[in-house]
Amino acid sequence: MSRQRIETYARLTLCIIACVIYLMPLFWMVSTSLKPVDQIFQKPPVLFPSSPQVESYKSVLGLPSKEPALYINTFVYFKNSLLIASWTTLLALVLAIPAAYALSRFKFRGQTTFLLFLLVAQMLPSVLLVIPLFVLFRIFGLYSTYFSVILADTALALPFAIIILRTSFLQIPDALEEAGWIDGGSRLQVLWYIILPLVRAGLVAVGVFSFLTAWGEFVFALSFLPKPEMQPVSLGIFQFIGMYKSNFDTMMAFSTLVAIPAVVALMFLQREFVSGLTTGSVK
Amino acid sequence: MSSPSAQNPVREPKISLSGEKVTPYLFILPSALFLGAILGFPILYSVVISFQKYNLETLISKNAQFVGFQNYIAVLSNPTFAMALTHSLIFTFFSILFQFTIGLGLAILLSKPFPLSNVMRGVLLSGWQIPSVVTGTIFLWLFNLDYGLVNFLLTSARIVNQPIAWFFQSNTALAAVIIANIWLGIPFNVILLSAGIVGLPEDVYEAATVDGANGWQKFVYITVPLLRSTVGAVLMLGFIYTLRVFDIIWVMTKGGPGTATEVLPTLAYRLSFINFNFGESAAISVFMLVILLGAGVLYLKFTLSEEKL
Repeated sequence: MSRQRIETYARLTLCIIACVIYLMPLFWMVSTSLKPVDQIFQKPPVLFPSSPQVESYKSVLGLPSKEPALYINTFVYFKNSLLIASWTTLLALVLAIPAAYALSRFKFRGQTTFLLFLLVAQMLPSVLLVIPLFVLFRIFGLYSTYFSVILADTALALPFAIIILRTSFLQIPDALEEAGWIDGGSRLQVLWYIILPLVRAGLVAVGVFSFLTAWGEFVFALSFLPKPEMQPVSLGIFQFIGMYKSNFDTMMAFSTLVAIPAVVALMFLQREFVSGLTTGSVK
Repeated sequence: MSSPSAQNPVREPKISLSGEKVTPYLFILPSALFLGAILGFPILYSVVISFQKYNLETLISKNAQFVGFQNYIAVLSNPTFAMALTHSLIFTFFSILFQFTIGLGLAILLSKPFPLSNVMRGVLLSGWQIPSVVTGTIFLWLFNLDYGLVNFLLTSARIVNQPIAWFFQSNTALAAVIIANIWLGIPFNVILLSAGIVGLPEDVYEAATVDGANGWQKFVYITVPLLRSTVGAVLMLGFIYTLRVFDIIWVMTKGGPGTATEVLPTLAYRLSFINFNFGESAAISVFMLVILLGAGVLYLKFTLSEEKL
């Protein structure tokens, strides 16, 4: 018995150490963002700022701040990311729902092929897509439009979205759908009024996943959006570190604000994301 | 549960039988068309570009000339390509070596419940969805020459006497981007390996305990062989996801200093968007595509063989 207790304590201790090391970069980001300037360059480094300040956050969000005004309007990047990520989410859901429904409710020729295609599509790197898409978007006049990035981001998110959503649909018993048909509903009505409300958790997970894909996407935005007033937050940070090499508190405040949606989403949707990844890849 | 379907046969919605055969195709059609247009076609198109002389003039005139294997020959005879390939292999090898080992260690630690184990699992996954641009920026600051936390820790632990100028020397720059990428990949490895460990049959371990096996023996003789296909799948996926890493390197070093951290993706990007040589860039893309598809096939073999178990 006591042997087991020792083992438990050993696991606990090792895990605490691992967590502390793992969290160090994120802790350092937040800690730096709250430091007054003199504490950023202090040696030895200050772990917890003695008099935390939020001027850096005000400066990033374009609010009146004691920090010198930035040459770039960082607030615009957030607005653009919100726009691009919202449209990507909508488009991915609209496309993924019928596809996932068909893959879970029907047996048809080409089904396995389509699933394999999704698995392979999910592995395609954006850096291989960006070159032909750039040429094609130039030809079709989509270069330098929000639409180009929304289309490309949706293509990145969609395969995984369908795979996760299919698993959610598979958990709904056929009998529920059949009951809806008996009551006279058409296939689309039953899907809309009975099935979709039941897979709400899956829909939320897929929506949030698609949103985050577009929120943090870098290479498409870098290549298709030359105008600063149209660029998302990933490019905002990239421009920022090029222009302000040593404005670390604002740089980290900017990074924290961009990271927050991802960390919050993971806190609430950890289980859905994890099962999505494992069904999509190892099982 | 009441089952009315047992008494009265279920009537399908008002669609004829032949119509019902078409229905699934109508449902997948939008996705299939979309992915075909934005994913499938562009990939095939990059194969076409790789056989064309495609540069800034071509981009405007939209009139590309077929040049056979000229782009491939130019790429292969360029020493930069061999170097980028070497960097890619080093980057991928060390990233996966550490991501996987650390991930496996953590997955094993978390495989039995203990106080706060769920909270800690959450903590160890917290960085999973953080945009890689943010990760790159954080590590840029952590590896800062004068005020970075890493140099402070290394000098105060007397591991080095002088702070390391991480981004001014070839080897350390490559090490820095690899370390950032390891941090980024840990959650992914923990999740997949945990899933594999949870799926292991409990009774085999109990039998081994009865036979007097210790923890290490159980690990070597039970866990390792039973996890083989999971490990194979995780390594293949890790390879696919690491070989393609672009963001974090572009943010931290842009492939520099000089060409110290130039990998295949950054080289392909540079050729297209800085040198406007889309043809050669596409040739590199096709080269990577072939490697990735090979790895993809191996990965599917591992996962399919697991399903049979």
